[in-house]
Amino acid sequence: MKRVLSLLCAGLLLLSVFSAGLSESEDDIETVVTVIHAPEQEHPERPDCFPDPEDDFIPLPETENYALNKPVSAGAHTDVYVSKNVNDGKTDTYWESKGFPAEMVIDLQGACTVSTVAVCLNPSSIWEPRTQEIAVLVSTDGENYSEAAPAAKYDFDAATGNRIRIDFEATEASFVKLVFTMNSSSRTGGAQAAEICVY
Amino acid sequence: MKTGKKLIAVLLALVSLVTFTGTCESPRTLLTIYEGPKTMTSSAVANVSVNGYELFVYDVMVNHEHIWNANTQPSSTPVTYFDFSGKAKIVIEMPGLPKPVESAAVLPTSCGIEPVVDNGKVRFFITEPGQYTVVFNDSVNQALHIFANPLEEDVPDRDDPNVFWIGPGEWVMDAIVLKDDQTLYLSGGAVLHSIISVANAKNVRICGRGMIDGSDYPAWNQPGSYARVPIDLNHSKNVTVEGISIVNSNCWNLNSYSSRDVRIDNVKIISGRQNGDGFTFQSCTDHVVTNCFARTWDDSLVIKNYSGSTKGITFKNVQVWTDLAQSMEIGYETDKGLTLDPEISQVLFEDITVLYNWHKPVISIHNSDDAYVHDVTYRNITVENAFMQGDNGYNKELVEMTLQNSSWSTVRDEFGTIDDVLIDGLTVLNTLDGKVPRSRFAGQDEEHRITNVTFRNVVILGKPVTDLKDFKLSLNEYCEGITIQ
Repeated sequence: MKRVLSLLCAGLLLLSVFSAGLSESEDDIETVVTVIHAPEQEHPERPDCFPDPEDDFIPLPETENYALNKPVSAGAHTDVYVSKNVNDGKTDTYWESKGFPAEMVIDLQGACTVSTVAVCLNPSSIWEPRTQEIAVLVSTDGENYSEAAPAAKYDFDAATGNRIRIDFEATEASFVKLVFTMNSSSRTGGAQAAEICVY
Repeated sequence: MKTGKKLIAVLLALVSLVTFTGTCESPRTLLTIYEGPKTMTSSAVANVSVNGYELFVYDVMVNHEHIWNANTQPSSTPVTYFDFSGKAKIVIEMPGLPKPVESAAVLPTSCGIEPVVDNGKVRFFITEPGQYTVVFNDSVNQALHIFANPLEEDVPDRDDPNVFWIGPGEWVMDAIVLKDDQTLYLSGGAVLHSIISVANAKNVRICGRGMIDGSDYPAWNQPGSYARVPIDLNHSKNVTVEGISIVNSNCWNLNSYSSRDVRIDNVKIISGRQNGDGFTFQSCTDHVVTNCFARTWDDSLVIKNYSGSTKGITFKNVQVWTDLAQSMEIGYETDKGLTLDPEISQVLFEDITVLYNWHKPVISIHNSDDAYVHDVTYRNITVENAFMQGDNGYNKELVEMTLQNSSWSTVRDEFGTIDDVLIDGLTVLNTLDGKVPRSRFAGQDEEHRITNVTFRNVVILGKPVTDLKDFKLSLNEYCEGITIQ
């Protein structure tokens, strides 16, 4: 009887260790695993569910942008969004005026034949659609301006690159002035332009 | 003899019970693991497996500089994740540590896990999904964060035209804008370099197990950079964010502004760069944050008023590791929008575990404009390591409430009030010097006071604290009804 009891006790002890302890047998936990595999990639890509919208961007002339890095002058700006941002070649910096009307003058530093002005915002879709009213004036002396394109409303939409182009009859100009009179964005009370290009 | 038979019968019954229990208690573990993008390599610092399956380990930015520095340089720490139900055996090797692992601790302490360290390897078991942090050799450097998610449920249909479905892999685009009724699914194994904007939209869902990674941009305050908030909710309603991780942001992490009916569940944030606040809400109503994790280099859980009042904000079952600033901050801006009668009310912090709080107060209401801050409850707050180093001797408090101007004030000629605050269950396990940390309340004047603040069930360093003096709470004359029970 004592032997039976001893065996039973030993068995019970072993079973207890097996079921509750950190024995080696517990290393193998029955596991149903799902492995989510990564695709072959050599560099980060744009997700397929967001097709590249550049195909629908408003095209800009491929000729020289006479405004790039030329001297500019404007009135008061908002916060840190200074006037020199409008022709630094980068659309992730921008100029924002402090109120309306807002004038931006670009000194082309010499006479050029101009026929197109483009106004660009940051192309990111985080910039919601907005409308700005813009007129284009040109001058050969920086004092006497004539109207190249009358004030009109232009729609900026990330779907088309957040940029607009204003085409007009080719004319000689050393200075180009843009006059902004309205911006429909609720986030600002001023004109906005990341780049102003003159072709 | 009869006694012997009875004993045998009892033993046989016990054997049967143990055997029965042994066979029934081990249901199969269901495990989902995610390959890392082929463009990335797993961390050289840590090797981690779960039930024998190797995990991909990410190196993400953290910051051990516990004082503000506009040009700070973050370091990194390993992070990994998987989904499971059942039982998971975690095995860790840390080849990137300067010396072999001799000891390890698994946080939060309340999980009660005592890991086995054997020949430089760490192993332990978990049976509950959650966020686990492993600290090696009593050093927080290169602590391993393990996000053990529950198995995914309610995965969106990728063929639904309102679902943007991003699979595993490394992805980049400038920004994602979600509109009414749209869902963004970010699969486990995905690393997305982008920002997600939800502006003037409703019924939006962001979910999955993937990561939003802001490492492709310098910190927002560096030349040529700008703030790219990984998830930015603005004037939106009925928004859900669940399951994903946010790492390496170049500014704030999950921001909500003037939005309502927002649910955030099982979202993990780790940031190590300038102004890397975690969950930050301004002038919002009815937000619920559950089962989340925030390790941040600025305030972790933040409530402010930017344009209108705040009402109905709940943080529940959230783990926090604050390398800089405060863990649970209301303020400083409480009326940045100069609105009439601004309030912050019906705020609940419940079941919050602060793993480490390195810099400023753990609990703080800095009403530095003119809001009426009231009906604020902190319930079951555990501070594992209250290591406030402060700024040159200041801002080292455990709890701080003030009605004073600050550099973040907009309203400078008027002040607010703080009333009806309950702190029920505040446990501090460790402090830097082994002493009870100071706390501070400062009202402004007779009309702008801090009133009716009740502490209950405060335990610091193992000892119940039932006296304000023992709590080391300094009060100026413009505080009233401050009690500890």
